[in-house]
Amino acid sequence: MRDLLHEIWESLRRNKVRTSLTGLAVAWGIFMLIVLLGAGNGLLNAFMNDSDGFAANTMMVGGGMTSKPYGGYKQGRRIKIVDSDMDMLRREPFSDKVDLISSSLSRSGYTMTYGRRYFNNVVLNGTYPGDAEMNRVKMEAGRFINEKDITDKRKVIIITHMHAKNFLTGSTDYEQLLGQKVKVGNLAFTIVGVRHGDENRDDRDLYVPYTTIKSIFGLGDEVDDITFSFHGLTTEAESDAFENQVRATFNTAHRAAPDDSRAVWIWNRFSQNLQMEKGTGILMKALWIIGLFTLVSGIVGVSNIMLITVKERTHEFGIRKALGARPGSILKLIVTESVLITAFFGYIGMLLGMIACQILDATVGQSKMEIFGQSVKMLDNPTVGLSTAIGATVVLIVAGTIAGIFPARQAAKVKPIEALRAE
Amino acid sequence: MLIELKNIHKTYDNGQPLHVLKGIDLQIEKGEFVSIMGASGSGKSTLLNILGILDNYDEGEYHLAGKLIKNLSEREGATYRNQMIGFVFQSFNLIGFKTAVENVELPLFYQGVNRHRRQEAAMAYLEKMGLTDWAGHYPNEMSGGQKQRVAIARALITHPEIILADEPTGALDSKTSVEVMELLTRLNREDGVTIIVVTHESGVANCADKIVHIKDGLIERVEDNRQHHSSMFGTTTIMK
Repeated sequence: MRDLLHEIWESLRRNKVRTSLTGLAVAWGIFMLIVLLGAGNGLLNAFMNDSDGFAANTMMVGGGMTSKPYGGYKQGRRIKIVDSDMDMLRREPFSDKVDLISSSLSRSGYTMTYGRRYFNNVVLNGTYPGDAEMNRVKMEAGRFINEKDITDKRKVIIITHMHAKNFLTGSTDYEQLLGQKVKVGNLAFTIVGVRHGDENRDDRDLYVPYTTIKSIFGLGDEVDDITFSFHGLTTEAESDAFENQVRATFNTAHRAAPDDSRAVWIWNRFSQNLQMEKGTGILMKALWIIGLFTLVSGIVGVSNIMLITVKERTHEFGIRKALGARPGSILKLIVTESVLITAFFGYIGMLLGMIACQILDATVGQSKMEIFGQSVKMLDNPTVGLSTAIGATVVLIVAGTIAGIFPARQAAKVKPIEALRAE
Repeated sequence: MLIELKNIHKTYDNGQPLHVLKGIDLQIEKGEFVSIMGASGSGKSTLLNILGILDNYDEGEYHLAGKLIKNLSEREGATYRNQMIGFVFQSFNLIGFKTAVENVELPLFYQGVNRHRRQEAAMAYLEKMGLTDWAGHYPNEMSGGQKQRVAIARALITHPEIILADEPTGALDSKTSVEVMELLTRLNREDGVTIIVVTHESGVANCADKIVHIKDGLIERVEDNRQHHSSMFGTTTIMK
């Protein structure tokens, strides 16, 4: 092996310009591949982040309006989701699939006051403990609403870190606020938790126990919506079937046609997520293909150079063969040289590509765009993972072999009699 | 019998068939020093190619050390060349980017001998050639005579059955030519190496004990030259 490397090194050393030009083509190909994939990842990450606020295996059901007459009722009737609808999800056929169930009820247009600081236009959101998991609530301090809050109808509240920071005049020691009282409208709530807000619209939502809001405002059994999580579904078809089953059950309970798609609205985040994954997969595949095509020009370059090298070294290969070199050993020499050139320059390209991704991350990755009043990152963490690096390495070795195999076969075909020709 | 050629025929077909060897019969014993002489176009190079397993022949039989050399695969050919034949070429054919010692090692490399033992053997042969100080030098730093001695060391390193020398003095001046031929003669006399020299120079051919004259693809005559009286320019010089 050492001899092989020595020989290759000598051959490359003698043709520095040629070797580096070839290398440039390969490096450029891999550089483009990595940057493309990195940017693609960044785009997807930014996109995913936006939908990161909830668990993928949940469904939300809300009231709607019937779109067809059924059971003696005319169409256009409003359907109200009520507390007892949650019980349906705890029974057959849903009980073995459904995990957490939560309903929410909100009242908006309040002002939250803490000492002399206040926030206008906040929303009181009555909710259940299960909401923490389903909506991926990240706690910065304290806890979320628990079962005891629900049964005792406690007047506790979860604020966001943006509120907390403001109350503490910039400090992030949110623990100090736990147990403190805030006023919402003219009601006093005890802060039990500080959650992470998105520093945007989401920060208007204050979480309080579902039962508390219900008793305070003397509301009936109507709820805004019901969210539940489930397990055991894998395909989009299964997910759609499950959604239809849920719809039929709710519709029947509210005396609407089982297939009336407007009577209740259902947000199936699981199906949505599956579609997104599919789209993501297609995008990444497209990026790989574009990257690989860029790389092809590099491979052709290497192959070309190797052919010239073989031509130039015909006499030398003749000598080697006369001295007892087998065709296989010459084949190995050229293929190894090709793989080494490709791998070496490919790695330089990969490294530069990764640096470019980091630069992209530090610049474009930090900037935000305003879309529909929401600030959205254009690229989030536009880098490639270890798996891409390994994939690219495999690509390089395969590419090097392909580039080398044709010239190597030419070299192996050199007749030993070439050794007798004068140089 | 080390080499036995029976009715060897060879025809090249480059558009027009060219019958180069028309039935060569030749026997060479172990330890002989033979030269093959002939004008250009006589077929002596073709004969050398066949003897060196560098080329195939169409008809007849060639036995080298008891083995029939016929229709070999590339791999077999490479193995036989490596183990049984040492080549000395007119243009030395050293590899330019390898040092003297690396060039000498090369046949052993293709035998799979490890680096250390290879180097040891190569140094021993370079010493024998009086080139110990030149071991680390590249061919372009050496004189023609030195290069040819490196090539001879390379030919000897595998202890081949025969040394095939193709115009070994063709690129050398007369003084160096004499030195190289003396070296080959000594190897034959002292170490019993079988040597076949192909040449068109009578002075070179005169060093051998037996001269095979080739003309128009046939052996014209085999001359016993143990008295070394063959050269028309005297017995001690090589005319350039």
